[in-house]
Amino acid sequence: MSPIPREGEEAVEGPRVPREEPAAPLDRATEREMLGSLRAGTVRWEPTEELWRLSVEPAQWVWSSRTATEGLGHRLSTLFADRTGDGPGGLRVHALFLGQGSSAGVHLSVGLDPLRPRLASLVDPIPYVAPFEREAAESFGVEFEGARDRRPLRRHGARDPEPRPAAGDPPAGSPAVPADRFAAVEGEGVHEIAVGPVHAGVIEPGHFRFQVVGERILRLEIRLGYTHKGTERLLSGRPADLGTIWAESISGDMSLAGAMAYAQAVERARGSVVAPADDRARGLLLELERTAFLLGDLAGIALDIGYAVGAARANGLREEAYRTLARLTGSRLGRSILAVGGLRRPLLPVPSDRVAATLVGLGQRTRSWSEELLDKSSVLDRLEGTGTLPRWVAELVPCVGPVARASGLRRDLRADRPYGPYRGIEVRVPRAREGDVKARFQVKVAEIEEACRLAGQFLEARDRAGTGGNPSAGPSVAVAAPSPTDGLGWVESPRGEFLVHVRLDPAGTVGRVHVRDPSFLNWPALEWAVRGNIVPDFPLINKSFNLSYSGYDR
Amino acid sequence: MNGPEPPRPGRPRPPPVPPGLPGGAPAPLGYPRGPWPTDEPPTRRFPRPDPDRCDGCAACARACPNGALRTAPSASGTVVSLDYGLCLFCHLCVDACPSGAMAAGPMGELAVRHRDDLRLVRGGPRPDPERLRHEVGERVGRLFAGSLSIRAVDAGSCNGCEVEIAALQWPRYDLERLGIYFVASPRHADALLVSGPVTRNMRAALERTYRAVPGPSFVIAVGACGISGGPFVGSAEIEGGVDRVLPVEVYIPGCPPSPLGLLYGLWLALGRAEPRLRQGELPAPVGSVPGTADRRTPARRPP
Repeated sequence: MSPIPREGEEAVEGPRVPREEPAAPLDRATEREMLGSLRAGTVRWEPTEELWRLSVEPAQWVWSSRTATEGLGHRLSTLFADRTGDGPGGLRVHALFLGQGSSAGVHLSVGLDPLRPRLASLVDPIPYVAPFEREAAESFGVEFEGARDRRPLRRHGARDPEPRPAAGDPPAGSPAVPADRFAAVEGEGVHEIAVGPVHAGVIEPGHFRFQVVGERILRLEIRLGYTHKGTERLLSGRPADLGTIWAESISGDMSLAGAMAYAQAVERARGSVVAPADDRARGLLLELERTAFLLGDLAGIALDIGYAVGAARANGLREEAYRTLARLTGSRLGRSILAVGGLRRPLLPVPSDRVAATLVGLGQRTRSWSEELLDKSSVLDRLEGTGTLPRWVAELVPCVGPVARASGLRRDLRADRPYGPYRGIEVRVPRAREGDVKARFQVKVAEIEEACRLAGQFLEARDRAGTGGNPSAGPSVAVAAPSPTDGLGWVESPRGEFLVHVRLDPAGTVGRVHVRDPSFLNWPALEWAVRGNIVPDFPLINKSFNLSYSGYDR
Repeated sequence: MNGPEPPRPGRPRPPPVPPGLPGGAPAPLGYPRGPWPTDEPPTRRFPRPDPDRCDGCAACARACPNGALRTAPSASGTVVSLDYGLCLFCHLCVDACPSGAMAAGPMGELAVRHRDDLRLVRGGPRPDPERLRHEVGERVGRLFAGSLSIRAVDAGSCNGCEVEIAALQWPRYDLERLGIYFVASPRHADALLVSGPVTRNMRAALERTYRAVPGPSFVIAVGACGISGGPFVGSAEIEGGVDRVLPVEVYIPGCPPSPLGLLYGLWLALGRAEPRLRQGELPAPVGSVPGTADRRTPARRPP
């Protein structure tokens, strides 16, 4: 049993492994040289996004992706299609690669013929690209040559056979979609358990198919798509400033993170700068949301091991966090307070010292609660060694957020690619090595403490700046003439890396918005982590991941 | 239980939390048996158009993200119609109005039995109300003897409503003190509490869940999505509201509704409170009277 490792400490158990240091980023000239060898049409450096934007030919697609992953050591963060016109090159596929630590990202895009969009699949260099390519194939009719998994992502086989383009129309004569089936395990004593989409608790819908021997889970297959609302398509053509309203409903339990990522994407596309006071207020709200969200995770873990008293206490703390958000914004989930360019309206006048004391109290109470919980052998019996996600799997998936950090990966956008309020401040990134439920529990406890500390820091900075206790709600300052273009927003949400990519139309409306919720990457890790565990532990493991269904389906 | 385990030697213990430090669990609640709580944080209230101050500029209708608010010129001024079943409580209309005609009304006890009671029309004649016959209606209290088992179904929500529904089960709101329980199976349920705009992919599952509930039973639609499709109105991927698929007995507006708003809606469903909102108008301000008085349900009277 080990205390919760804080920043700079390693857990005391287990063999000592060298601390992971982020690889020294290549300098811009070397990167440019490597990317220049691709002979891409254009190589553009985006200083506000710390991103190389490259437009490549279809023949160079796999080779340039390999350069980004194997040459530069990046991982694929998202891949999506966008339709801008009917002529050749009117359908574009974009791939975004983000680096380890603070190195610059790479944005590749390729133009295809909208009438017959074909592109080589990236599945060989990048196995986890499959759900991205399935989505692009389903929504835009892109045919990925060499893809092995061609099942639709959200159209559930025979029940819903008609094509439903998400943002474009699939071309006539596009290949028929194969019916999707669940993989089955055969053998003596193997049976199948089907769960969902309507679950036993107050949670989102999804279907889980277990292959089980006795109580042991051999295999789990997760089918999502039940909450697909067509959010991305709905946003096309809307005024860009209104988009935060929908961004808040991508994953409603992280409304602020979604709105922040969207707002940043539009701000970067327009080249606008947010007033520092608004940035600090955003930071305060984002960290409060993280606190409330993660307390819910801890309460869920306590509940799923049958420790109802512990669950009730954590949920009491969570309620106080939501009430603090309500006192500041007028909405318990922080709805309709963030806007493109800053805040939609000033924060409500609440005595700063009361908020500060609440933050201190939440942090201290969470730690003392968790210490008490982890002092019980019956609790440890359920948490230790349950749902283990080894580091190499977390790297392969690739996981983001607390799930990745509990398996030893140091990934936190607040530290790696500081944005908005996190520029110029130190963010401690707690990690654990074991990758089991206990590790995720401990990482989340440490993250709540860090979130309370950061929120307190933003509050203090706000008071020092002497804005009368309220940040300005004034418009942001445009540093460049607004030219309709692309923008990328990134936020370390309570679940991890949340990306929004926005293309603005010349009229200033949204052309195409693409959302990559952290859960889109993390879901396959859950299928891994439950293998070999017993069925009754599945709810516990699921809760320790706490992935978003709505964020995956959108 | 044998009391707390003794601390083990060598383990660092966190410093005790000083008494009186804020950030602990909030106080338990007397509502809805008692009055509206005074220690509730002020959440955003619903917009109330004032026809006397309106200058007909329609800035509010242009600001509304999903068409919940519409304006039309009329002989006597401007007709403002507002659908609280669509309203996201984002207050963009309040911010946009130059003449201060969009005052913020009270928030909370907004649940109604008829969809029509969420439609407000000011400054002009309103269309004839559509009153659907309710199967269970006022008899709910008698049928279920004041106690209710609920199966919550997420029909494609963003998880915002689920956060607030789950909060009902925890300290402060503590739903079970009212005899209302969340159950794990539709077979054990008296009512379905449905959130989300009913996505096309969830429609079949929702209908099958409804058929699995033994009668008499009824359906409560939660949130702007559950009532009308909310922000997702216009998407081809949704049915647009629970009542397109199932008969709905009670509508609880909000995006998401606060836990107190949900408590009121459930109390209303049990027949222990009267709906306050009538065709979008609020006869008496919320909180002025403990209107959700602990009326005895007919079931408790001797026959």
